[in-house]
Amino acid sequence: MWHACLFRSAVLVILLLPLTACAWFPPEREAAYELLASWGGKGDAPGRFNEPTGIAVAGGEVFVSDARNGRIQVFDFDGRFLRQIGSAGEEPGKLGRPMNLAIARGELYVADYWNDRIEVFSLAGEYRRSIGTSGTGPGQFNAPGGVAVGKEGDLFVADFYNQRVQHLRPDGRFVRQWGETGRTGWTAGRFSYPTDVALGADGTLYVADGYNDRIQVFAPDGTFLRKWGGPFALNIHGPFRGWFATVTSVAVGPRGNIFVADFYNDRVQKFSAEGRFLTAFGSTPRGPAHSAIAVAVASDGSVFVANFDAHRVERWQQPAGGP
Amino acid sequence: MKTRTFLLAMFMLAASSVVMGDGMQYELRVDGLACPFCAYGIEKKLKKTTGVKTVAFDLEAGKVIVTTEESARFTEDEMERLIEEAGFTLRGMTERELP
Repeated sequence: MWHACLFRSAVLVILLLPLTACAWFPPEREAAYELLASWGGKGDAPGRFNEPTGIAVAGGEVFVSDARNGRIQVFDFDGRFLRQIGSAGEEPGKLGRPMNLAIARGELYVADYWNDRIEVFSLAGEYRRSIGTSGTGPGQFNAPGGVAVGKEGDLFVADFYNQRVQHLRPDGRFVRQWGETGRTGWTAGRFSYPTDVALGADGTLYVADGYNDRIQVFAPDGTFLRKWGGPFALNIHGPFRGWFATVTSVAVGPRGNIFVADFYNDRVQKFSAEGRFLTAFGSTPRGPAHSAIAVAVASDGSVFVANFDAHRVERWQQPAGGP
Repeated sequence: MKTRTFLLAMFMLAASSVVMGDGMQYELRVDGLACPFCAYGIEKKLKKTTGVKTVAFDLEAGKVIVTTEESARFTEDEMERLIEEAGFTLRGMTERELP
């Protein structure tokens, strides 16, 4: 009896092995992206960066978080410097460590990791308002890493050290949260240092669950839908396709595909909305830092990447069709 | 009277230099510094700590270099707690007085 059971289990494992191999080591399903242009280099002059950490695109312009310089820089798609937004400091309208960015309703939203707030500017650079304060209470932040904005102006914030994602009204009033405040977890709906968030056109919420090495997805009503990243998306990191090693940014492309900055693997990975691996691309770093830290996708399919190691911005494109 | 005042001033100056002392430099070995979410978190935590003057990173060596103001001193346990609150583990610490 015992031997028969063991035999059945062994047969089952052997039969399932090719299936799991397909799921955990997927093939490349799309053509590779090509690096079209890059600009920057280390420095504090206009057009140079000291640790770029966030990126967003809108209306033919690229907005870049220039973290150690405490500013946002704006460029055209060819890398020509256009203007600076914000400057280093702690007062409202000033920036500590700007991280992932969002652009919505004609405004720029900056997750300020050091000042524990979301700073809002016009796209021309005029300071509009600050949302949130330091703390662990509803509507407060402990190092916000990324922000997304819904159609009605509601905010979704990756609240890094509070181990949660908060949903807030446009004026900062708390609506709800995912995750348990201040406690990491690896089960569905729990986080380990969430770094960024993005919204699909239908309001689906994608969370870069940073140190859990996975993406988690929630329906517009807040219910958990799915997760992906390595075997069972249970914080098993690795260099393989569809696996991650610290997820630092997530963006939704114009066709609903999901682009993920896979920082320690120095690449951006592209998935379908359901989490099916499509392709990956990135630049090899000089080290010891890593390259792909933030990603944004333009309406023409161009993918913009903040290269942390090289202090540069990169523009990638797929030769045979967009995302 | 003038001599007494001068001697008192000299004594206070000498005493203040003993109390003030020089700052310290601590080298903290911490894993995972290559990620700015980690490094900025440690930097933020340490810069808000009374007595900390500067925080710098040596990514190649995986070290955080902290200098302190005047007489501020930290034990390894205190540094370990600060690093833990930033979400990381202190692997080791060396210290020296600044010249």
